[in-house]
Amino acid sequence: MFDWLKPNDVLWLIPAAPLLACLWIVVVGHVVRRQYAHRPVVLAIAISAALSIHLLVNVVPTGFGKTVEHAEHGEHDEHAHVEPSHAISTNVFGDTQVNGKTEPNPWIRIGPVGNSTLLVLPTLRADAMSALMLVMVTSVSLLVAIFASGYMKGDPGYPRFFAAISAFVFSMCMLVLAGNFLLMFVFWEAVGLCSYLLIGFWFKKPSAAAAAKKAFVVNRIGDFGFLLAIFMIWSTFGTLDFDALFGSPRMIADVMRSQPEVFTTICFLLFIGAMGKSAQFPLHVWLPDAMEGPTPVSALIHAATMVTAGVYLVARCTPFFVHAPKAQMFVAGIGAITALVAAITALTQYDLKRVLAYSTVSQLGYMFMALGAAGAGTGLATLAVTFAMFHMFTHAFFKAVLFLSAGSVMHSMGDVIDMRQFSGLRKALPITHITFLAGALALAGFPLLSGFWSKDEILAIVMEASKNPEHGDFYKVILGIALLTSLMTAFYTFRAYFMTFWGSEKFPEEAGHHPHDAPPAMAIPLFLLGAAALVIGGITGPTHLYGDYLAHTPGLPEAHHHEPNMLMMAVSSVLAIAGIGLAYVCYVSSPGIARNLKNGMPFPHRFSQEGLMMDWFYLRFVVKPLRLIASISEFFDRWVIDVIVDCVGFVPGLFGAMLRPVHSGFVQHYAVVMLIGLVVCLVSVLRVLAGTL
Amino acid sequence: MPSLLVILIFLPAAAAAMLLLLDAKAPPVRARWFALLATIATFLVSLGIASQFYSVQRTPPSVAGPVHPHLELKHTWMTLVAATEDKPAINLEFYLGLDGISLSMVLLTTLLTISAVLVSWTAISDRPAEFYASILILESGLIGVFCAFDVLLFYVFFEFTLIPLFFMVGIWGGPLRRYAAGKFFIYTFAGSVVTLLGLIWLSLETYQDSIVQGTPLSTPLSIPAIAAQLAAHGLPVETQIILFLMIAAGFMIKVPLFPFHTWLPLAHVEAPTAGSVLLAGVLLKLGSYGFLRLALPMLPKACEQVGVPLIGTLSVIGIVYGSFCALAQNDIKKLVAYSSVAHLGFCMLGLFSLQPEGINGGILQMINHGLSTGALFCIVGMFYERYHTRQLTELGGLASRMPLLAVAMVYTSFASIGLPGLNGFVGEVLSLMGMFKRDPILAIIGATGVVLGAWYLLGVLQKAFFGPLQEPPHHGHEPIPDLNAREMLALAPLLAMCLWLGLFPQPVLDLIRPDVESLTRLYGHTQASRVLTAAQSPVINTPATALASVAPETDQ
Repeated sequence: MFDWLKPNDVLWLIPAAPLLACLWIVVVGHVVRRQYAHRPVVLAIAISAALSIHLLVNVVPTGFGKTVEHAEHGEHDEHAHVEPSHAISTNVFGDTQVNGKTEPNPWIRIGPVGNSTLLVLPTLRADAMSALMLVMVTSVSLLVAIFASGYMKGDPGYPRFFAAISAFVFSMCMLVLAGNFLLMFVFWEAVGLCSYLLIGFWFKKPSAAAAAKKAFVVNRIGDFGFLLAIFMIWSTFGTLDFDALFGSPRMIADVMRSQPEVFTTICFLLFIGAMGKSAQFPLHVWLPDAMEGPTPVSALIHAATMVTAGVYLVARCTPFFVHAPKAQMFVAGIGAITALVAAITALTQYDLKRVLAYSTVSQLGYMFMALGAAGAGTGLATLAVTFAMFHMFTHAFFKAVLFLSAGSVMHSMGDVIDMRQFSGLRKALPITHITFLAGALALAGFPLLSGFWSKDEILAIVMEASKNPEHGDFYKVILGIALLTSLMTAFYTFRAYFMTFWGSEKFPEEAGHHPHDAPPAMAIPLFLLGAAALVIGGITGPTHLYGDYLAHTPGLPEAHHHEPNMLMMAVSSVLAIAGIGLAYVCYVSSPGIARNLKNGMPFPHRFSQEGLMMDWFYLRFVVKPLRLIASISEFFDRWVIDVIVDCVGFVPGLFGAMLRPVHSGFVQHYAVVMLIGLVVCLVSVLRVLAGTL
Repeated sequence: MPSLLVILIFLPAAAAAMLLLLDAKAPPVRARWFALLATIATFLVSLGIASQFYSVQRTPPSVAGPVHPHLELKHTWMTLVAATEDKPAINLEFYLGLDGISLSMVLLTTLLTISAVLVSWTAISDRPAEFYASILILESGLIGVFCAFDVLLFYVFFEFTLIPLFFMVGIWGGPLRRYAAGKFFIYTFAGSVVTLLGLIWLSLETYQDSIVQGTPLSTPLSIPAIAAQLAAHGLPVETQIILFLMIAAGFMIKVPLFPFHTWLPLAHVEAPTAGSVLLAGVLLKLGSYGFLRLALPMLPKACEQVGVPLIGTLSVIGIVYGSFCALAQNDIKKLVAYSSVAHLGFCMLGLFSLQPEGINGGILQMINHGLSTGALFCIVGMFYERYHTRQLTELGGLASRMPLLAVAMVYTSFASIGLPGLNGFVGEVLSLMGMFKRDPILAIIGATGVVLGAWYLLGVLQKAFFGPLQEPPHHGHEPIPDLNAREMLALAPLLAMCLWLGLFPQPVLDLIRPDVESLTRLYGHTQASRVLTAAQSPVINTPATALASVAPETDQ
């Protein structure tokens, strides 16, 4: 049907549509028809989403149908199951004919000098992994944009909001499609910029302005690592192109032989980049603050898409990571710490959005745990990537619906989000109640819902890793943390749910007397996302649809089919139900328990509520000392360096001062000096004359 | 038609002379418009020269010497020794020229000067004719430096630029203007005197050498001739090092590198907006340009042995220290001034990586810093004109009062931070990339500037432009207007260039490529792609072999 649409054109059309929408709003839509600014954006993202699905079908050469078929035959021929890997790419700047040869137009080209050329092409490149990412990004963006058209109605910055959203979708698509490290870094930063602009969307609020800056600067710390990784890759391999790097196992093997430690360093640095963007401990502090932005932004950027870029980066660099088991263990360790820390913090938050934010951090930690599990053996690498990406996929949907439902609550409660100020909303907001419940059940890992499938797989692979004879103990600890976190996730999610929707009906003053539920523009996306949260994991997970498709990604080592781990399924189901039950007991049937716990243990409660004092720690031990250094530098500059300069400048003046008395201004003195001079001259002239005579 | 070069250099000066001849009682409007037209005319001439430059067949770098103007104009100025039968004459020449590097700097100068005139439009009401004349004379001097290919001529223009800026700061500056002008003048002048001595010594030494080799230079002060002679027969390392240190003295102050930078924040704070724009935008580049033109091609061994550790370390200190000083500032203009110290640190780090990526990055960084910091100073001047304060503590939430100005400020700040897609990124990354090959530690420390830069500039945005509106109490009662058409015109070309160079840096890289290539032939690419070179070519291109390969026939 779409034969006229060449895959190469699809590649650039996907990001081009939202970019055009963004430019349109900036130039035209900012002035005329401001209240309809969402239309071009929704249209553009819809086009992108359709094209992404088209790409998904076409990027794998054999077509999608065959993959499914193959999944059915998977058990018969386990060894020949991966189709030839495939990627398509296109250069945005096109080619030129130079002396009869076709040369791609570069973004940056330096050289050739000696035998190396720094050549960075603006290449868009898609394979199975990026196609899956794109479908996720564009479909969630589309629903969020529709939701936002209702949610943001009446805001004075309405066009600005949609311009930034479409700029974000453009940057995110480009990030996913980037064909080399430097281009990826460009859009890695660009999504950071969009995030900055959207967190600070209500820039008159000091907290929003501060949160925006914090997000960007903390992200920059991660980018610092990413940048160094890029330098290191360039100076080691002499190229930054994904196809050249990941498509030639021989080059990697050469480097592996001569300098194996270089992979560990590169992977560490890449992961530092991922830690910034994906809010991993200890760089996770920006994400909860980022909730200052409008709620659709939190759903889209700070839950579903941008924050998963770090996972994507690590997954993309699997060919490097398989050679760096130490780095992978580091990834798993950081993931586990993050998951645990964020879950502990989420237990006691009163701000509904902050609960969800910490839960996002925690779930991202889960994904990194899965990625890091490959450190126990190269054979696990592909499964690890598959499961991490799968959890990212399901998480995008159920976390988006949770955030949007929270937004809907906020919308009807007059922008109040503190759960202590409202309760029992399930009658007043029936739609929101149902969609939130769907998301919450999925997040908690309730059996057979989306989160259950993906979380179970992560637990299974960590358990697999813990059987490793060498590092087994390490992964056992990780597994323990993962299980504990799973229980806590169910608990805090349903704590929020019960506090918001159960109990006696109570509205804050800001809500007025009759809070209204979501209007259609908000309700439809809520329902669609809610449905996705319930079933998408079940459709694509146990059927191996997702995993088999992802296996077409070039560079991923071959892997065997993974059998569902029944033990883990049972354990995680029990944990999920236990967590939900515990929350019910504490917050519905006998609310006294929670209060007593809180009053009984004031210090742990406060510790958890303040996010393990991380912000305090940073302020005290990082920001303040650096500010002190800044003040010292300023002082040093003014009172040491500059004073030395002035002193040196004083020296010629000093000489002048020594000679100054000579010029006293008295004619008599000058006359005397002149006389002496004359006499000296006369005498010497006479002596010379006498000598010659 | 190379006489366009002469027109380019002296057109602004002639315009300045005519301005000064204007009736002193003439309305200031006349001086403004005259100056604006003169700068636009100069810009058009520079565009004409650019098109001429592109139409010239360029000498390939393998044939050209380390310094090679592609467009040149020579006039014998003085004949020191007349020609005899066996010896050619020895001449002093009036030697102007253009290569890719100088062309890009000339274009930057002529573009920035237009903005400098536009931002002074209402800010300068006292003696406008003299003020605009100073701007135009400064422009002449700056273009002269970039076009000079003779040591003496270079030096003359180099020092000449001090005079108009001295008057601009000293007459139209802030409360401490006299101190600032004096310090700026004497400090930079003292440094460049040492540079002059170094240059004279270098020329004499080269000339002596050339006599010993039996091929005496006919033009002992021509930069390309000296460079070619030195590429064939380098000076002894000890001499090179001493000469390098002497020549570096003036340029290090001009750049300015830590710890010779203290004149800069002072001069910036006291200078009028136009002065700051040109000072940061172009004048500072004279230092890095001097290194690029006189130190790198002529003293390769000293650059490798002393330049990399010394200048590299000072640049890195400048990046970190400058950023910290910027972080502690309350005066936005001073903050931007300190950010210049950090940015020029990136630029010098790139140049002294002595790697092609780094040198390209360093030159790009020179252009980028000119554009983005120039624009930042314009914006600071614009709200200073409105509020008469630049203190962060007195300003807040300006975005709700002046949305357009705020947009411009956010945009420029991100350009300055090095956000990809805008200009700063490419220069910074290439500089650091080059240095990473030469000395990873320096590059790593330098890269922390990326984080610090975001911190202090976003801090300005947060405090002054976001949050609740806070205006100084004594700004009067008239409503504060947003950007007007003139101010937008002043900013638009700079901001547009920021975006253009960020998206398409390759035209500039292509423009400077032959010059950088002929320069980097002096230096080996020892660490270029370690693995591949180890695998594919066992011969490592050391400086010595590179030098030998430049002039194999004379090296017998």
